[in-house]
Amino acid sequence: MVAGAVVGDDTFPLIVGAALVLLGAYVLLLARWPEARVLFARGEDRRRLLSSGGALVAYSVLTPYLGYTLATLAVSTALYFAMGGYRLWIALLAGAATTGALHLAFRVWLLQPLPTGLLGI
Amino acid sequence: VDILGNLAGGFAAALSPVNLLMAVLGAFLGTVVGVLPGLGPTAAIAILFPLTTVLPPVPAIIMLAAIYYGAMYGGSTTAILLNIPGEVASVPTCWDGYPLAQQGRGGPALGVAALGSFFAGMLGVVALTFFAPFLADQALRFGPPEYFALMVLAFTVVTSLSGSSLARGIAVALVGYLLSLVGQGPSTAEPRFTFGYTNLYGGLDLIALIVGLFAISEVFLGIEEARAAIAQKIRNVFPSRADLRESVPAILRGTGIGFFLGLLPGCAPSVTTFLAYDAEKKVAKVPERFGKGALEGVAAPEAANNATSSAGFIPLMGLGIPASPPLALLLGGLTVYGLTPGPLLFQRNPDFVWTVIASLYIGNVILLVLNLPLIGIWVRITRIPYGVLGTLILLLCFLGAYSVRNSMFDVGVSLVFGLVGYTLRKYYWPLAPLVLSFILGPLLEKYLIQSLSMSGGSPLIFFQRGLSVALLLGAAALLCLSLWLMRPTVGRVETAAVAEGADIS
Repeated sequence: MVAGAVVGDDTFPLIVGAALVLLGAYVLLLARWPEARVLFARGEDRRRLLSSGGALVAYSVLTPYLGYTLATLAVSTALYFAMGGYRLWIALLAGAATTGALHLAFRVWLLQPLPTGLLGI
Repeated sequence: VDILGNLAGGFAAALSPVNLLMAVLGAFLGTVVGVLPGLGPTAAIAILFPLTTVLPPVPAIIMLAAIYYGAMYGGSTTAILLNIPGEVASVPTCWDGYPLAQQGRGGPALGVAALGSFFAGMLGVVALTFFAPFLADQALRFGPPEYFALMVLAFTVVTSLSGSSLARGIAVALVGYLLSLVGQGPSTAEPRFTFGYTNLYGGLDLIALIVGLFAISEVFLGIEEARAAIAQKIRNVFPSRADLRESVPAILRGTGIGFFLGLLPGCAPSVTTFLAYDAEKKVAKVPERFGKGALEGVAAPEAANNATSSAGFIPLMGLGIPASPPLALLLGGLTVYGLTPGPLLFQRNPDFVWTVIASLYIGNVILLVLNLPLIGIWVRITRIPYGVLGTLILLLCFLGAYSVRNSMFDVGVSLVFGLVGYTLRKYYWPLAPLVLSFILGPLLEKYLIQSLSMSGGSPLIFFQRGLSVALLLGAAALLCLSLWLMRPTVGRVETAAVAEGADIS
């Protein structure tokens, strides 16, 4: 807060914080949550879920180094392979086709400034 | 306000080749995503948002609105043919739509759904044309305390966005407010809640948040559910004269219920479709037909769904209050383009507003013309393997999160919120209140600080001005009314969401 001012940047956070404390007290003392049985993925589904999530993390880590096009080729191939369960060469072909289409649409047609990476592509 | 003159100007702009193309493209893509099993309008907007970020504001919002309408139409296709509702609002359509499809009457059911949606959608847009400018005009007399009270009124929407538990909705909304605080403070422009991390100085990006919460989490859920569809062949989608005799009164009743309740900022389609279905069952001569393939059971909720959604554009455009999750995302779309949602939009950007309103008329017609003849294509789209769809959606999510600020940090944010969204949805926590409060948070804070500065720090200012008091009382009344209207449907919404895996966000 600026000296002399009655309100400032801390006013609203204070109100939100107080509301959260009140809600927390309500949840602890009074609330009855609706019951719902939650099933998480197991076996093959869990493997596909984790590998797809992993591919996305790798995408965000690799893109600044490989550049958008190469990283997209690698990740789309990995996703087709992991999520779709396609054979590697089919996944590679599908990944190349997808990357080509995205490259044309976003880089060539829409002129999006996408990361170029260490190789400049 | 010269409404007809402005509308004519809007039509002239909306019918320009680029805008028309975006309306057709949006309607087409929206329908494509909407027909995909389990994906509703909210997910469709979140997934396709990235495509619009590369466009100027007018064609982008036209495309987003068309995506919304298209996804609504597409959603009824999967509800009827596959018994899979994209969102809770489509659940009542499944109850009679799917039995009709099993009896080989899927075509007329789709036709009636499309006609009902068209009629209800058009009525909503006509009302928007004449009512929203009036509403916005009244709102121009507002000062900061009135705007603050308006934001409080908008908060009542959380009741309808909360699904089965209001406490969960409020908790998620408060987290949304917390997230909106990250960045520079409004009074001093000093960094706040950034923990010294420069990437956070500009705050969290709305698109990254939406893409993560809705689109990435949708793909993760889709992987688990291994969505596969076996669709049947549809020969004729045009309803017979007897079909129309049965369904037209239901369409009119559904439109009435959906439209008038949809005007209330706290009433979402997930409530009105259930109410319209119930009303239809009550007026039916043979209520036992419902659930076994009654055409009225499709016509009424579909009309109510579209009427509520269209009526929701009135508080959205006039006051900046979104009544449903997809409209909250559309509101986000406006803010991304630097447009202030609410009454000032009509004053500062009249060309934009009237072009978008005109495009809604055009979008409705495009959808009717596009959808019925192309039904065979939509049915085939439902058979695309999820491994292909999921991959394409995730690649688009990356582009969407990156392209707004050209920032890899935003991509990381979207991944984190993808995980958060997935976990919350697994436990049936609503996500829309988070987005709503994230969007409204900065506005609420701005008007709060301005009001308190005017009064020397006294909160009594909100109760000393007539309009402000009226709005706060209106908020309290709406909250009570919404809770009362939701009471009979809320248990069924929860049951339906759990049973069908539908989205309550």
